[in-house]
Amino acid sequence: MRAMHSRQWLIAIAVILAALSPGVRALRVADAQGGGALTVALDQEPPTLDPHASPSAVTYQIIASVAENLLYRGPDGKLVPWLAESWTTARDGKSVTFKLRRDVKFHDGTPFNAEAVKFNFDRIVDPKFKAGGARAALGSYAGSKVVDEFTVQVLFETPYSPFLNSVASGVLSIVSPKSVREGGDLVHTRPVGTGPFMMKDYVGKDHATMVRFPGYARKAPWSDRSGPALLETVVWKFVPEPGTRVTTLESGETQGIYLVPAQSLPRLEKDSALRVEKLPWPGVPRIWLLNVTKPPFDDVRVRRAVNFAVDKEAFLTTVYRGTGLKAFAPLTAVMLDDPTLRQAYPFDPEKAKALLGEAGWAPGGDGIRSKGGARLEIVLNAIEYGGGADPTAQLIQSSLRDVGIDVKIKAQARPPWYEDNYRCATHGPVMFLRSIDPDGLWSLFHSSQVGANFNWSCVKNAKLDGLLADGRRESDPARRRAIYLAAEKLALDEALTVPLVDELAVWAFRATVQGVKYNFNAYPVLSDATIRR
Amino acid sequence: MLTYVGRRLLAVVPVLFGVTLAVFSMLFLVPGDPVKIMLAEFVTTPDQVARMRAQLHLDEPVLQQYGRFVGNALRGDLGMSIRSRRPVATEIGENLGSTGRLALASMVVAIALGVPLGLIAALGRNSWLDVAAMGVALLGVAMPSFWLGFLLIFVFSLHLGWLPATGGGDLPHLVMPAVALGTIAAAIIARLTRSSMLEVLGQDYVRTARAKGLGGFAVVVRHALRNALIPVVTVFGLQFGNLLAGAVIVETVFSRPGLGRLIVGAILSKDFPLVQGTVLFVATAYVLINVVVDMAYAYVDPRIRIG
Repeated sequence: MRAMHSRQWLIAIAVILAALSPGVRALRVADAQGGGALTVALDQEPPTLDPHASPSAVTYQIIASVAENLLYRGPDGKLVPWLAESWTTARDGKSVTFKLRRDVKFHDGTPFNAEAVKFNFDRIVDPKFKAGGARAALGSYAGSKVVDEFTVQVLFETPYSPFLNSVASGVLSIVSPKSVREGGDLVHTRPVGTGPFMMKDYVGKDHATMVRFPGYARKAPWSDRSGPALLETVVWKFVPEPGTRVTTLESGETQGIYLVPAQSLPRLEKDSALRVEKLPWPGVPRIWLLNVTKPPFDDVRVRRAVNFAVDKEAFLTTVYRGTGLKAFAPLTAVMLDDPTLRQAYPFDPEKAKALLGEAGWAPGGDGIRSKGGARLEIVLNAIEYGGGADPTAQLIQSSLRDVGIDVKIKAQARPPWYEDNYRCATHGPVMFLRSIDPDGLWSLFHSSQVGANFNWSCVKNAKLDGLLADGRRESDPARRRAIYLAAEKLALDEALTVPLVDELAVWAFRATVQGVKYNFNAYPVLSDATIRR
Repeated sequence: MLTYVGRRLLAVVPVLFGVTLAVFSMLFLVPGDPVKIMLAEFVTTPDQVARMRAQLHLDEPVLQQYGRFVGNALRGDLGMSIRSRRPVATEIGENLGSTGRLALASMVVAIALGVPLGLIAALGRNSWLDVAAMGVALLGVAMPSFWLGFLLIFVFSLHLGWLPATGGGDLPHLVMPAVALGTIAAAIIARLTRSSMLEVLGQDYVRTARAKGLGGFAVVVRHALRNALIPVVTVFGLQFGNLLAGAVIVETVFSRPGLGRLIVGAILSKDFPLVQGTVLFVATAYVLINVVVDMAYAYVDPRIRIG
């Protein structure tokens, strides 16, 4: 009898074990506390750490001090030497020649040289390789020429000036050719670079660890000292739940977190044991792309009216609460800022009403305007995140109601959201884009991108196309700025979008963590970071 | 017995056929071009789109695609994840262990909490003990696991500093997730144990046992509880689905690796092969576990005759 009794339980447990045991493997969390170890919690897990394969920003947050680039771009946006000592763009804009440093070795001991640069760029365009964002960053790449051991010439089919900014961005960072040839899948979890840190281990859905590279003798471009990193170890934990992430920082389980939720920000800012750091994102701000082909948005007066009517201040105080700034233009302020852009559309509901009246939309009985019996209705395409539509959609809705426009929010899952955007089926979506070069505007506004990513304003404007093409050809920074300023002004004048919020990358650290610096992409570079005891 | 097992396994075939059909159709039920949707967040060149289409064999007739899908799945080849570029089977294998340990630990919690609670309630029927025990059980069912998870983190990580809030791995990392996930099952088991116990206590053989002078403990544990727990075994199998659904949430709250987070991540990133592979795996596991539970049930309860 007793035997039967315990057997019932054995069976029950065996049932579960049998179903779940194959693949049971001991997962060990690296014991990284103590001895100069920093633990930082990120909101996402990277799909891969291979800089050339990844489509995701989180990859470059992690490897910013592991794999280095030919050039470096700090928060001021200026390009400075890194693995390359100098560079020259050919007069026809179809090639760039880099003189490389001679004292660089990869973490695996192999030398860094012109062959290595050529190998990396050739790898990205190899049809057998599934490149991520790196492929687009190389534009019309036509190959690399090894001029001598430490000189490499990168060639293009057509002039492609965004390349210099791309070459300073994580997607084109340089990994050891040997590690790619011989390491197989390891490049996804342990890319081998030349930076002050090297990847040590990777445990899926849990953490990645990087350790100091003792052989780093150079001065990193963000640093004012030479030599290896100060911290022994950095552990990146993947903690998707925002509340949990904040708790780990407060309890000391982590010493830093990325993506501070807006509702926790005031509390963390008040806590003297913590420090909050906010950085501007390069790219396209949170923006409403207005579908110019769909009435009534085919009338520029209605599009302008919408720009005057949206109360951006309300976004900042109710939803963003210190995690964003007012956006003015299709590029964030850190990309291109100019007083003329800031003046384009102040919040002015009276002006909006006047413009709508001018366009023939007269106030109706229920507070919604109408023209020839038709109500002024607009469909805003919004992503349903599970807890309802994007809150910015609801703020647009209430702002526009005040001037007599009825906004219907089409809240839906991502796939149909994309599909509606490709088909120009709604009055446009709210979206954002990360991009380190103003050429990001190409994917937003060039006529070839209608029905693709991301010309969801569905605009075909020859003058704008011309400016965007000029921007790709022009290599002089001042003239490039002038071209993109003109493009932005044109986009604002045509009211192709409603820029809403320049979101900020918000990091929080224990106050004892010092020396964290950031590159232009707002990713931390950690060789000077320390933890005060 | 063998014929029964054979028949049961044969009956699984049409179910699994339906599962593969449903999983395979997913790709076509989503509006729009699946390749465009999968690549939506990449800045892509037309070349990349064409290669993805070829890689997924979307240019072939649908029937042929389905045949390929089933054929590959039978060989254990569930395709490649689009986001991580690794085999789906590998991804599942890596995450299975963590979810398995969580499931097992939460079942232990469920039994350790649920059976005594149910027993106390049944023995003290209609007393304050019963009310209290069932009140606790009601609370357990009503409490969402994510909320309980936050509560545990708040108390044991933030204030007491006893347990780590995040991560997979050894026992300290397992305690809070197991409690958060096991509480609902504990509440269900407590209620089931109570009602089943009450039924058994009214049976003739219990009265006989008492009549022949056995002590209260022997009657309750050896005669009554043993029989009362038979339905609880069944609940194990049925709870598997709930556990997995709960794991999605609990694994996210506690940042544990596991199948739940794998599926959610795959859905959010529109990684179709990964979604198809994991759903197929989980559905198959669910069906097979229920078969095993059916057989185990027949085994532990001699009143059920099979053949």
